[in-house]
Amino acid sequence: MFDAALIPTRLNPTPVRTIAAKDIRDALRDRFILIVTAFLAVAALVALVTGAIALRGDVATYEAAKASLLALGKSADAIKAPEFYPLRLLRGAIEQIEIIGAAIAILIGYRSAASERGRQTLALMLTRPMRRWQFVAGKALAGIGLLAGGLALVLGGLTLVLHFLSGIGLGADDLLRIVVVWGVAVAYTACFFLVSFILSLHMKQPSHALLVAFAVWLTLVLIAPQIGDTLDPDNQVAGGVFKQLNIAKPDQVEIMKSFATFETVRDGIEQASVTKHFERFTFAVLGIKATYAGMPLGPILIEMLGNLVWIFLTALGLGALALALPLNPDRLAKA
Amino acid sequence: MSEPMIRLNRLTQSFDGVTVVDALSMDIEQGEIFGFLGHNGAGKTTTIQMLTTLARPASGTATVAGYDICNEPLEVRRRIGYVPENVRLYDTLTAAENLVFFARLSGVDAPARRVREVLELLDCTYLADKRVGGFSKGMRQRVGLAQAILHGPAVLFLDEPTSGLDPMGIKMLRDLVMRLNTEFGMTIFMNTHLISEIAKTCTSIAVLSHGKLVYHDRIEAVTARYGDDAALEELYLSLTPVGRLAEVA
Repeated sequence: MFDAALIPTRLNPTPVRTIAAKDIRDALRDRFILIVTAFLAVAALVALVTGAIALRGDVATYEAAKASLLALGKSADAIKAPEFYPLRLLRGAIEQIEIIGAAIAILIGYRSAASERGRQTLALMLTRPMRRWQFVAGKALAGIGLLAGGLALVLGGLTLVLHFLSGIGLGADDLLRIVVVWGVAVAYTACFFLVSFILSLHMKQPSHALLVAFAVWLTLVLIAPQIGDTLDPDNQVAGGVFKQLNIAKPDQVEIMKSFATFETVRDGIEQASVTKHFERFTFAVLGIKATYAGMPLGPILIEMLGNLVWIFLTALGLGALALALPLNPDRLAKA
Repeated sequence: MSEPMIRLNRLTQSFDGVTVVDALSMDIEQGEIFGFLGHNGAGKTTTIQMLTTLARPASGTATVAGYDICNEPLEVRRRIGYVPENVRLYDTLTAAENLVFFARLSGVDAPARRVREVLELLDCTYLADKRVGGFSKGMRQRVGLAQAILHGPAVLFLDEPTSGLDPMGIKMLRDLVMRLNTEFGMTIFMNTHLISEIAKTCTSIAVLSHGKLVYHDRIEAVTARYGDDAALEELYLSLTPVGRLAEVA
């Protein structure tokens, strides 16, 4: 058995891939990932269908009003037909990814680290000829891979439903926008996965780490964007103060100059949340925000570059932190 | 004289200011089955954690198979196998999938073939395609031993290998350990509470008490000095606080 020929003479180049493949197989077999992905898919589908029903209602109202006007012998030009951008129907799905997707990412991060702690499989791994960062990289790769797969299933399924639901089908540009949104959604959820993974790997009690991760989620996903929205002067009246008062854009800018400090603080709170960046980016790309409806993808990407950079830098920064923090095997051996 | 397979030189570990392994020095020669005795909390597992490169010592040094545990951990890991006290593998994977995973991590060429060889060696090919989740403690211990010898290590570290096993399981494990030692020349470092197993298996023993080495000798010397298995128990009890407590009572 003690055979020098069996002892590897060089550092094994594949532990990252090996650990990632094992984690993905392990996760798929215990059905947790499948269940949470199905849950997100159902939530997103319900949001999509609700949006479609609301749009159908708008169309029916418009048709009824138009028919009434025509019956009275009047022109129907006075009423505006509802605009139909199919991708706008994804608004609810994006909000589900923002909130539930981030929560699922936290659970996956927690399970990824906590599942190795206490059952001593970590000790078996760390006594192999590999570097500790390779263990972290393998686990992170698997977690992000599972998120990418889950989001692809959800968005792919929604795309199919949307394609048949809209009746007019989706073009190549629409599909490209959905792919872009998928990529950014992976980076966005990866941020929450990494927060939870790092905390669960390094805190004394993984269960405490889960609580802290959810506190971070609550702050970034719900509290910060809500504070930003609530304090926005334009949000104080339904439909927007400026719009209701018919104030033109240049005048709006002039008025807001008087609230520069307030606006900097308010915007700063929003900017601190990766969720807000994700929302701004995806709402623009999918044309959910009216300003961007019908606008080509290129200029939108240029305008939204700051949000994109923020999301990817957050994910990369957290990834670098996960790799850089030294592992404490004694702590990791305890559940 | 050749270099010992394991050499500890004032190896020390402390947690939160408490010294749990105190300047441990000893040599273990190649081909030995070494029994490491000590009461709960004596520092046996901590010593194994340092020797298997899981934890860095606070001070002192050690070499395993000629490599320094602090400066050459990858070289040490290439030459050791480790079986923790409670082997908990990946329950959703089969025994063969678990073993292929660890073989790949160890850099073994043709891992599937190697896994078959090891399972045959340990007489447990019937476990290969079963999910580990349904295994008994004895079955897990077998697969745990298999994962530790996949890459043909020079030294095998066993932490309380018989803990929780029934008499049949203990005998099975003892036979396997003896076989690995006699047929393949593997050096075995074994933490245990079972003095009877030490007498049946080990070629040398050491006793640790509150992190300090209080006894280290070859088993023949122990039996020559103290007599039979019962005397070994008396020796252990006289060296540990549990034994001193019994004397007082």
